[in-house]
Amino acid sequence: MKKLSLLLFMFLLVLGSTWAQRTVSGVLTDDTGAPLIGANVLVKDTNVGTISDLDGKYQLAVPAGAATLIFSYTGFASKELTLGDGNVYNMTLSEGVTLADVVVTALGVKREKKSLGYATQEVTGDEVTRVKDVNFINSLSGKVAGVDIKRSTQMGGSTNVVIRGAKSLYGSSQALFVVDGTPISNAISNSSSQQTGRGGYDYGNAAMDINPEDIETITVLRGAAATALYGSRAANGVILVTTKKGTRNKDLGVTVSSGVTVSNADKSTLPRYQQQYGAGYTTIQGWYPEENGFEYFDFGDGVQLSANVYEDASFGPEFDANKMVYTWESFYPELDTYGKLQPYVGSENDATTFYETGITYNNSFSIDGGSDKSQFRLSYTNFDMKGNLPNSSIKKNTVAFSGGYDITPKFKATSSISVVNTAANGRYGTGYDNRNPNQSFRQWYQVSTDFAKQKEAYDLTGKNLSWNPYGPLDPSSPTKPHYFDNYYFNRYENFQNDERNRVIGNVTLNYDFTSWMSLMGRVSMDRFGEIQEERIAAGSIDVPKYDRYNKDFSEMNYDLIASFNKYFGADDIVSFDGNLGLNIRRTTLSSIFAATNGGLVVPKVYSLANSANPVAAPTESAYKIATNGYFGRASFGYDNFLYLDLTGRYDISSTLPADNNAYFYPSASLSLLFSELLNIDGLSFGKLRFNYAEVGNDAPALSLLNTFDLGTAFGGLALASASNTEKNANLLPESTVSLEAGVELRFAKDRLGLDVSVYKSNTFDQIIPVAVTGATGSLFKYVNAGNIQNQGIEVALNTTPVKSGDFTWNSNITWSKNQNEVIELYGDQTNIQLTGVQGGVTINAAIGEPYGALKGTNFVYTADGEKVVYPHWNGGMRWRKTSTPEVIGNVNPDWKGGWSNAFTYKNVTASFLIDVQMGGDFFSLDTWYGYATGIYDFTAGVNEKGGQVRDAVDADGGLLIGGVTQASDADGNLLFDADGFAVKDADNDIYGYAQDVYSSFGYVYAPNAYHVHDASYVKLREAALTYSLPSNLFKNNFIAGIDVSVMGRNLWIIYKNSEYSDPEAGLSAGRFLGNQSGAYPAVKEMGLNLKVRF
Amino acid sequence: MKKILFLSLIVFVLGACTENISDYNTDTKNPEVVPASALIGNATVSLFDFMAEPNVNVNNFRLYAQHWAQTTYPDESNYELVERNVNGSAWNRMYATVLRDLKDAKPLIDADKFLTDGEKAAQHAIITVMETFVYSFLVDCFGDIPYSEALNSDIATPSYDGAAGIYADIITKLDGAISALSTQSGMDGDLVYGGDSDAWKMAANSLKLKLAIRLADTNNATAKTMAEAAASGVFASSANDFKLGYYGSTPNTNPLWEQLIQSGRSDFVAANTFADALNSVNDPRIPYFFKNNAADGTAVGGVYGTSNGFPANSQPGYLLEDPTWPGKIMSYTEVCFLLADANERGYSVGGTAADWYNAGVTNSIMEWGGSADDATAYLAQADVNYGTAAGTWKQKIAFQKWIALYDMGFEAWTTYRLYDWPNLPPAEDSQRPVIKRYTYPVTEYSVNGASVEAATAGGDDIQGKIFWDAN
Repeated sequence: MKKLSLLLFMFLLVLGSTWAQRTVSGVLTDDTGAPLIGANVLVKDTNVGTISDLDGKYQLAVPAGAATLIFSYTGFASKELTLGDGNVYNMTLSEGVTLADVVVTALGVKREKKSLGYATQEVTGDEVTRVKDVNFINSLSGKVAGVDIKRSTQMGGSTNVVIRGAKSLYGSSQALFVVDGTPISNAISNSSSQQTGRGGYDYGNAAMDINPEDIETITVLRGAAATALYGSRAANGVILVTTKKGTRNKDLGVTVSSGVTVSNADKSTLPRYQQQYGAGYTTIQGWYPEENGFEYFDFGDGVQLSANVYEDASFGPEFDANKMVYTWESFYPELDTYGKLQPYVGSENDATTFYETGITYNNSFSIDGGSDKSQFRLSYTNFDMKGNLPNSSIKKNTVAFSGGYDITPKFKATSSISVVNTAANGRYGTGYDNRNPNQSFRQWYQVSTDFAKQKEAYDLTGKNLSWNPYGPLDPSSPTKPHYFDNYYFNRYENFQNDERNRVIGNVTLNYDFTSWMSLMGRVSMDRFGEIQEERIAAGSIDVPKYDRYNKDFSEMNYDLIASFNKYFGADDIVSFDGNLGLNIRRTTLSSIFAATNGGLVVPKVYSLANSANPVAAPTESAYKIATNGYFGRASFGYDNFLYLDLTGRYDISSTLPADNNAYFYPSASLSLLFSELLNIDGLSFGKLRFNYAEVGNDAPALSLLNTFDLGTAFGGLALASASNTEKNANLLPESTVSLEAGVELRFAKDRLGLDVSVYKSNTFDQIIPVAVTGATGSLFKYVNAGNIQNQGIEVALNTTPVKSGDFTWNSNITWSKNQNEVIELYGDQTNIQLTGVQGGVTINAAIGEPYGALKGTNFVYTADGEKVVYPHWNGGMRWRKTSTPEVIGNVNPDWKGGWSNAFTYKNVTASFLIDVQMGGDFFSLDTWYGYATGIYDFTAGVNEKGGQVRDAVDADGGLLIGGVTQASDADGNLLFDADGFAVKDADNDIYGYAQDVYSSFGYVYAPNAYHVHDASYVKLREAALTYSLPSNLFKNNFIAGIDVSVMGRNLWIIYKNSEYSDPEAGLSAGRFLGNQSGAYPAVKEMGLNLKVRF
Repeated sequence: MKKILFLSLIVFVLGACTENISDYNTDTKNPEVVPASALIGNATVSLFDFMAEPNVNVNNFRLYAQHWAQTTYPDESNYELVERNVNGSAWNRMYATVLRDLKDAKPLIDADKFLTDGEKAAQHAIITVMETFVYSFLVDCFGDIPYSEALNSDIATPSYDGAAGIYADIITKLDGAISALSTQSGMDGDLVYGGDSDAWKMAANSLKLKLAIRLADTNNATAKTMAEAAASGVFASSANDFKLGYYGSTPNTNPLWEQLIQSGRSDFVAANTFADALNSVNDPRIPYFFKNNAADGTAVGGVYGTSNGFPANSQPGYLLEDPTWPGKIMSYTEVCFLLADANERGYSVGGTAADWYNAGVTNSIMEWGGSADDATAYLAQADVNYGTAAGTWKQKIAFQKWIALYDMGFEAWTTYRLYDWPNLPPAEDSQRPVIKRYTYPVTEYSVNGASVEAATAGGDDIQGKIFWDAN
């Protein structure tokens, strides 16, 4: 090593002293003389380049011997210019044919887009910040083909980003995020019980720390060929974020941007309640003593009627303002309604009024500038969000710096660093848990609950005065909450908070040895510390509790990359460029979770020391992993129309068995610009591309050796238990193999552009903890197994339908369809249950099905597709359901699409984006329980006979569920035809008593399939109107420009099939999609933004 | 200067890759080796927790015995196993926790330099006694189960063995354990008997007697031999019971307390079947078994298998609400009834059926808090007195054993299965008769499909009978 260093040192010295350079500058303008801002200037045959500033000026240190500059600008034809003796070169570019768009590719290598044999798509920072979101990833929805983005409806919740389909049976299928060359963590630290709907908070995905205000461009690399150089983790695609940088030779610029957004729950995604009937279940024999379905209660002044306040269903007696009964308000001595009878009426303020108007302030400030040798940008952004539930907020502060300095004309140092602090208070509880108000709003509820009164009761007392007390159920403690807390108490007393402090940064040194060879060294760091604290206050239904989770994460990447760039042959007809590199990655993680035990000693003191019983053994995790990667890329171009790329990477990973921890994977891609060969009328650009790539992947940390879990001691005896997951010391690397082809066409001077890709990828030998029978002694076992295939098509259509004078209309369509299929699993297993969710539904990887198949009980059908019903002993008919689970849905959409439009007239730009998903399913625990508790609007009202559905059948009431009865033979055996369909006997015309029959709609009798809903939607995702004040207004003062915009997000769900919820609602990003449990409504946002440049 | 800067970066990067990366990826928090006592302790607590647990997701045996009924949500009383994966809970707990931890403890005992060979043998024997109980429990729940290929991480899809064959094999191993228990175990952290091999030997013999009576209807000769060999070494009083004492502070509390008190729910009341039975014989244990009884002291039961009001019915008693209430798996009371049965079958186990019947009833009343006089008065009643009570000897023993096994739900349910008495009605809502076995967990069909399908050629039904259930 020492010798090598010495050699390199000498090499540097020699080269450094033999090459000289000069600086050229100029101004770039369009045909009208307006400056082109951010245009690319590149020294041909080199990586040396810059971009023009706000005045169109550029300045560039040109290596000696360089002869040609290339000027390019998106949407404009590129031009080349031969350098003479002078140092000033102005250039005018014309809109139209674009030949040399430069895009950022893997490892930050800037390349001409035409030379790429794979698909990439870029989104500018403007498009991301136009309608700002707490999670910038949400702003990509509908804008990039092939990227499946599933947003969260919880404040600050995690967004699922899957590119070209889920590839991993067990691991993450989430895209890799890379910021200025630094791979950053996008960890989702939600517990598996949170993810499967058993309660907990959605803490978001870590990549949401990126500040949208600092984003210059986002490049999405979709296929393995595009990402292979990133190694293992990039098999799921890469989202490359390039942050804003200062500009050379530019006066100090200051930009201040200030925005405010208000948000409200979208009513179309909330339940609608029946308003006729109160709490209880009226038909249960002898349950409620009073014959009309009320309870009795005696406050010492005689027995009176009481509402069934302890129930969490609404099949009780019909409201009657003249009937006086005890309600929840009667039981609390703190209220002046204590012991007083109240009219038995419905609610003036139902649960939907629990949602508040959210408000978000987003203020940012940036300074940038540059001299001839340096540039910098500093920014500060403050994001302050108040959510839609009481006592919910997220605050985020980001400080960012980027800068560059030419130590010598050939030796450049650059750095970008951002420091982010995110603090949330009162995130929304999720899943089937008392911390999630939607568990009751959508499942278990009394429609008579008046939320204004609940709020008043909490505000007055600060206590848990629930709508759901024991009341008559336990006359000795009637105020004890039964199933549910007062939700205001819950929000204000049982809140969580969390905070993450993060530093993402890199230092890069680049040395140009010759005009054709440079060497770059870079150290990048992503580091964060996180704390999550959760609490349950005394007086809640659940045991008072405090718990905390601390996590420290650090990843260091050390890169050393040599770049080569050379032309050969007559007229430089053959071009070559390439890299040789080394990547060293070190990741450290440590976490600890500890909780109080058995309650709290002092109420409202949330510390571990305040535990009623000794604190149970904390859960700790700590490990370090390492990867060393060696890679190379060689790209050859022939006469500007044929390009061939070859890459290879060799990784050594510490997570694989030491004697088998290295693996190699190659890729090849080809790009053919046939428009350069053939002259086709109207075709301004035509390209075909093909590629093949393999990507290897290592094992998750700590999957080789068995360990024991240490437990809490039992009476002084330490306990330990074998882990439920059997590790495997013989794991092999997994691999993804992909093929892709594409065509890129542009017509009519680029007014119409079409980009189509087709691809197929298979991920083999996946490292998965496969579920095994408990009889093996474990529940899971790490193995190499499985093959998941994704194939699909992506289309991007860019058009400028109108362009006349001052008016331009740009209209872009993206459309993608991915077909996922599980080809092979472990051994002869045909199904891997990924998880089971409440309600008996499982999410599976089943051979022949797409990943994420929902299984559960189904309807029994006749050959004609009629549902079979049978008479129930309790009266009425019930659907017959299959006795074994069947595939009843799938979480994968059939296709996704987006249609974005921008209309520009002089200084005004109006834009809107329609975001579409067709297909995909989810199971709703909300309807599973909620349809059986009599809360929804459809469970009351008039039936086909004109009677009230909730009245007795013989009083014209009752409910008919339709369907047909099944024929049976003489012995009473049910008859099925040769295909296994039920044989029809007769149409069902039997009415049943509503509550009993509605129980057949829900969890007791319904097939799971009845609660699988279509996740399709068409949404008006974004709309914005921006007005840039005319620049002549500011001619004589220090202001450089003012933009005012009005924007909206999620304003209108144009189409959906899920009656009471947002089809996008879910619990968490990750593997267990397709499950709604206590779903939050979609949130409509409207905002105003002001941006001033000085 | 500038070059040094750059060079140092290069050296730094290259230096990093000369490390030996196999030093990484080590788990610094979870050990690869632990004391055997920690594993045996965990297996013990997991086993007793499971047997004591009333959470409907885990253990519904108190319901199946119709000791309890449910209030609002009677799915489990109607033998709904799949939705909450109740059968899977039993399967996974017993195999992947209890049996697995016991298995992993064995090599650690062998490697312990401070133990004599005799102590090692005794500790292995204690493990065998627990394993025997667990396998018999699994067979009694499911029938055929993985056994010879179970607990082997190299066999991901273990085949099922015949239930009768498993019984024969575990009984042989139990015999081996009984003889090995002549040495003191010296075992640290024995939560049940504090390392007392003699006590374990009594538990082993009591278990052997229990298994003998299970087999009596189908294999009388083997049952006779086993019972006669075991009878002299069984529990002699409640002090010998196979039980675990819990503590007042979580998480080492009785799971009953967690569900009845800590959760704040109101899920269970006395079942009408049980309440009516207790009332019919003026049972002195009513105030200990239940609270919120009728003014005249009789128990009020909710209808088994449907929804019931909570305040209107008798509720699980105050004793069960004590977090330190011990969890019990085998008891002297149970042994008395086993010996009564053995006498009726003509086995030479000492005493008479009536003696053991009286001893069982008396011991039960007294261990729940009643007095000797209560027991005497109770036994004096014509419909309790062994000589005069109605029914066959099996019905008489079954009825009193079923009562005496309150809070030992699994054994109470199994008593019903063995004697088909008392006459437990079908669940009200579904009209399903009492479940006879667990179906296999649904996960078996997805992860061990070929094996479970081979084992269920004759069906996989909750009314299928375990091999010893001849009647």
